[in-house]
Amino acid sequence: MKILIVDDERDVEDLFRQKLRKEIRSGTLELEFAFSAKQALEILASENPPKVVYVFSDINMPGMSGLEMLDIIKEKFPKIQVSMISAYGDEANYKKAMESGAKEFYTKPVNFENLKKEIAEITQLNL
Amino acid sequence: MILINVISLFLLFYLKKSSGTQEFPAQLKRYFNYGMIAAGVLIGIAIIDLPPQILFQLLSFVLVGGIVYLILLTPELESQKTMAITPLPIVGVELLKYLIETISPSIYNTLENYLNAAGFFALIWAVTMWLNHRKQMKEIEIERIFLKEQERQLKATAEQKSQLETLVAERTSEILKQKEELQDALDHLQSTQEQLIQQEKLASLGQLTAGIAHEIKNPLNFVNNFSELSVDFLEEIGEEMAKISDSKEKENILELLEDVKSNLVKIRHHGSRADSIVKSMLMHSRGGTGTMDPTDLNALIKEYSNLAFHGMRANPNPINVDIQLDLDESLPIIHLNAEDFSRVILNLVKNAFDAMRDKIGALGNDYKAKIQIQTKDQGDHILIKVEDNGPGVPDEIRDKLLMPFFTTKKGTEGTGLGLSITHDIIKSHEGKLTIESKVGEFTRFSILLPKVKLGEKST
Repeated sequence: MKILIVDDERDVEDLFRQKLRKEIRSGTLELEFAFSAKQALEILASENPPKVVYVFSDINMPGMSGLEMLDIIKEKFPKIQVSMISAYGDEANYKKAMESGAKEFYTKPVNFENLKKEIAEITQLNL
Repeated sequence: MILINVISLFLLFYLKKSSGTQEFPAQLKRYFNYGMIAAGVLIGIAIIDLPPQILFQLLSFVLVGGIVYLILLTPELESQKTMAITPLPIVGVELLKYLIETISPSIYNTLENYLNAAGFFALIWAVTMWLNHRKQMKEIEIERIFLKEQERQLKATAEQKSQLETLVAERTSEILKQKEELQDALDHLQSTQEQLIQQEKLASLGQLTAGIAHEIKNPLNFVNNFSELSVDFLEEIGEEMAKISDSKEKENILELLEDVKSNLVKIRHHGSRADSIVKSMLMHSRGGTGTMDPTDLNALIKEYSNLAFHGMRANPNPINVDIQLDLDESLPIIHLNAEDFSRVILNLVKNAFDAMRDKIGALGNDYKAKIQIQTKDQGDHILIKVEDNGPGVPDEIRDKLLMPFFTTKKGTEGTGLGLSITHDIIKSHEGKLTIESKVGEFTRFSILLPKVKLGEKST
């Protein structure tokens, strides 16, 4: 199962790879990283149908924001699940994300226990 | 002899009338009345020719003489002096006639013509004098009326003047009152403006801290996550190491790994401390998000003064401080934003530590640093006092203490926000913060919090 993580912070890649090391090693999980919303959309568009089943995205990024990207993904690839991760856990962002069809809303710092649980659930579904 | 008495009567009658508005003394009036009666009686006697004629004639002269004497000697009759002179020639001639006739009637007969002529001239003189006197009296009367009028005008002017003065005084006091009111309004405006500026600063400060906090939060997350991960990895390494056969190198590596692990645990620990600070900064900058919960203020003070003390001891330049808690055990549970209020205690105690550290630096070990924290139930309010025996705050900067970004601490030691935020938190609790200090002796922060009881809130 392939997951795409979108964040303008490059260290997010190391963090996720290390945190999910066991899952990656066992082959149940494949991670892909994009450092902007634009790049993420390009990755999704490059495969038809996209292998990515789940997107975790930051909201505040230079250029296109995570929420704008959410709308585009939901329009172009309605099957892909999207969850938002943001440092700004305010009501407005949360509401907007949920209205646009986000599955979950995580606030930074990311609680990896919860994240792992979510990933495990999706993995079950996608086996 | 009737003539002399008529003159007496006329003089008295005229004098009595001449008093005008100014009343003569009663004594004088009595003289006039008696005189007039005497004159009338003498005239009557003269008409019926009652003997002895000589005596009555003499009395007539005495009467007129007395009247003249009265006029000349009485100060009230000063203006009537010419009146006294007017009948004198007639009286003189009549007296001469009387004397000559009495002493030697023969001589009288030879001189009669001359005496009659003299009497005639005396009469003319008297009439002239009389007319002259009347004229004089009229002039005096006119002058008197004129003076009176002038006096009346003067009086009216004075009255008007005093009325004006009263009016001016009234207006002046009105204007003064208005001025005072305006001054009050101005003072009020100025203090409001100052407060507004403060609030504006605090608001922008709030935005700034929110922004900064977010910017710090992200890198801090990495610090925390990676250190946590590394601890996990080190545990895994430990498991793997167990499979390798023992050697001196392995022992060394294990020892180093143990150190690295303990370092990472420290990084993680301090990272989470920083994280909680950032979180509370965000909480505060958002404003009003914290809830007022029933809080045991004494317990909060104990906990956070203790925390501040241990924080200070764990940091560079620890000092020895005697912390004396004098907490009123009868203090009720009150509604507080405990998270915010704990920062008030932390800030005040930390400030005291920093100030006393400076004093220790200046005075050496003879100085014993001491903080007293007191709570007191004051009926409607709760009083919290934090007093240190540090260097004190000079008057000129005491007003500035609560201003954002004002700090007395050197370099990067202070942000100048501590007391400003403290003040803000106390205000949000509807409390009052007052600062008293004496340079070289003490600084006392007193917080007066309105008491809001649990029962009152629920009902």
